[in-house]
Amino acid sequence: MRAPGTSLAGTGTLVRFALRRDRVRLPVWVAVGAGLVATQSVSSQALYDSPQDLAAYAASVGANAATIALSGPPVGLDTVAGAVAFEISSFVVVLTALMAASTTGRHTRADEEAGRTELVRAARVGRHAPLAAAVVVSAAACLAVALAIGVAATATGLPAGGSFLLGASVGAAGLVFTGVTAVAVQVGASARAAQGAVLTVLGAAFVLRALGDVEGSWVSWASPIGWAQATHPYSGDRVLPLVLCLLATAVLLGISVVLLDRRDLGSGLLAARPGPASAPRSLRSPLGLAVRLQRGALAGWTAGLALLGLALGGLAGSVETLFADNPEARAFLPDAASVVDAYLATALSMVALLSGAHAASAVLRARAEEAAGRAEPVLATATGRVAWLAAHAAVALAGASLLLLVAGAALGTVRALATGDPAELGRLLGATTAYLPAVWVLAGLAVALSGLLPRPAATLAWAAVAYVTVMAFFAGSLDWPGWVDDASPLAWTPLVPVDDAAAVPLAVLTAVAAGLLGAGLAGFRRRDLVAG
Amino acid sequence: MAPVIAVSGLVKTFGTSRALDGLDLEVAPGEVHGFLGPNGAGKSTTIRVLLGLLRADAGSVRLLGGDPWHDAVALHRRLAYVPGDVTLWPGLTGGEAIDLLGRLQGGLDPARRAELLERFDLDPRKRARTYSKGNRQKVALVAALASDAELFVLDEPTSGLDPLMEAAFQDEVRALRDQGRTVLLSSHVLAEAEHLCDRLTIVRRGRTVQSGTLAQMRHLTRTSVTVETARPVPGLADLPGVHDLRTEDGRLHVDVDTSALDDVVRQLAGSGVRSLVSAPPTLEELFLRHYGDDVPAEPALAVR
Repeated sequence: MRAPGTSLAGTGTLVRFALRRDRVRLPVWVAVGAGLVATQSVSSQALYDSPQDLAAYAASVGANAATIALSGPPVGLDTVAGAVAFEISSFVVVLTALMAASTTGRHTRADEEAGRTELVRAARVGRHAPLAAAVVVSAAACLAVALAIGVAATATGLPAGGSFLLGASVGAAGLVFTGVTAVAVQVGASARAAQGAVLTVLGAAFVLRALGDVEGSWVSWASPIGWAQATHPYSGDRVLPLVLCLLATAVLLGISVVLLDRRDLGSGLLAARPGPASAPRSLRSPLGLAVRLQRGALAGWTAGLALLGLALGGLAGSVETLFADNPEARAFLPDAASVVDAYLATALSMVALLSGAHAASAVLRARAEEAAGRAEPVLATATGRVAWLAAHAAVALAGASLLLLVAGAALGTVRALATGDPAELGRLLGATTAYLPAVWVLAGLAVALSGLLPRPAATLAWAAVAYVTVMAFFAGSLDWPGWVDDASPLAWTPLVPVDDAAAVPLAVLTAVAAGLLGAGLAGFRRRDLVAG
Repeated sequence: MAPVIAVSGLVKTFGTSRALDGLDLEVAPGEVHGFLGPNGAGKSTTIRVLLGLLRADAGSVRLLGGDPWHDAVALHRRLAYVPGDVTLWPGLTGGEAIDLLGRLQGGLDPARRAELLERFDLDPRKRARTYSKGNRQKVALVAALASDAELFVLDEPTSGLDPLMEAAFQDEVRALRDQGRTVLLSSHVLAEAEHLCDRLTIVRRGRTVQSGTLAQMRHLTRTSVTVETARPVPGLADLPGVHDLRTEDGRLHVDVDTSALDDVVRQLAGSGVRSLVSAPPTLEELFLRHYGDDVPAEPALAVR
């Protein structure tokens, strides 16, 4: 064994290099985390500005299992600050864990697979230096998140002590996931496999935490997210769970160093399993290829939207009590006789937006294939231009429709169970179908852009999704002229179940989607293939 | 017989840059045709036009008797293509990519596929993300060679292969010619074309500078010899097939026709050779020497 000093040689240089490579992405992660807390702080203080509002809120969410499963232990709800921590902490903890996992993975195994580590290690750089540098950068980012959240919460008027404890809890969870990732990248057969293992751990941690918090049992203590939330900022102000996080991080990092010494550069302790030597029968057409390329992402989105549908359905129960006495909150929802239906229409719009976002990203996959040069060998075979792009468009349209319907079915099932009326499932699933044409328009727009304006297609398609999102949620509160909103397909979609599903606007939207699709396919047939 | 590829006056511009500026190319059935030029000469652009991936701005392009833009799908059933820079789907294994490309092209021969995998020493069970450039190229080669195409369009297919694999590749190309198939082989390595090609077309800056058989272009295949001798070498300049004799820093530089190499070596032998370097002329040198004046060019490339 060499002295630790030599095995860490070059760490400082690598840290500076990594910080330079991450000079945009890390500040964005930090800003998003702090921004979420600041937004929640401002909006909660506006919503629950009287003790009665706060009490109604505490009574309704404190007894709602769905909210607790999403958010965390229902403690400290007697103050607005406590409510802020309850509502936002689980999101920022997950966000920070993802930041830590991607940062640590990116500067270790991902660099090894790209061949960069080999080049670096050939210089005067010790064996442990790349891992050490990745951990230092990730830890620094977690610290930055901690401080930024503390500052954001304090600056928006919450007590300083609790604010910085909230920040520290989030940062500490990030440290634990830095450690988890450091171990996973030693074990996983590939960078991707390691990343998958970390996401599994994160998912398991969230589920354990949710189970424990709903039951009020010790199970939360089996989850690092549970530790982070056990500090109870603004109420209990406990510091001990932070020590637990630090200890766990130290143990995980120790394990990762031991494992690092036992593996070769570029491969994990688990050997990569060889894949199939020949293609399955399904992989014989452009459609088969598009399905193969998109199925992983679609499975992930489907699981995510199904969970979201369950959660949104579960929240519907609290809506009535929550909004009954709070006109400010009620103003967020459309006018309707039934406050629950108004809420459900908003929930379905949200699900439709996410499905539309998936549709855009799935269509843009085709454009990414073209830019990366992978379309060229396929189009040099007996595969026509239209067939190729249409295959990707078909997978996008079918996938996005599936997402929307799965989320609608999940939401409807929860409502049917909650109300004891099986007809709710059919009614809400039917309502969901009204949002399909708007999703198709977003997919059609992405096809049209890919076919006609290949270079800016991705930017413009995402700008369109962002525009529709802003219009859906803020058009009412923004004092803009009507035509600004009118270009959004959701503006033309009847707000089912508040409104009736009118056939004419839905037929028009469907026709627009078909027109955009046709224009995109025709454009792609006429233009050059554009790489890069 | 009608040519398999007939291109004349082909023009293609990207924005303000003129990638192809009146290029001509004619490939006869059953020949291995070398398509030579330095990097950036327009070889890949021409091939992409031939495949209907890019649309010609002017000129006429015929491929297997059809229009490569309008009849793309029908024509592609009859040809196989290996791109210069092969990018594959990172999550698919090499074997899956071979099957996919083969099936999309119209089916491939399983026995031939297995034979080629063996020949090129390629593990089809690895994910493409772990393949080196050479292995990605092998995937495209196996998929192309296992197909039953009439025309093979190969864009710098050996740039990532080691010498052993290059030899295997050359055997495969000869086998294709023996079966009467047509091959368009682009390259910037003259030696490769010398080994394989019946005829050559040399392009530079989007234009054809010369086209013909190797014999017609024998002057392109001179060997450049640099030698340091104890005594002066008498009569070297008078030998037939010796060109551009010059002395720099006591070293003798000379370009020798392949047919005259034996005489030159004989002549050198008596002069106390201290060091001897011989190299085939690079394409860049050839272009500078033979075509430098032809191209009304930017000042940077004006020769002499």
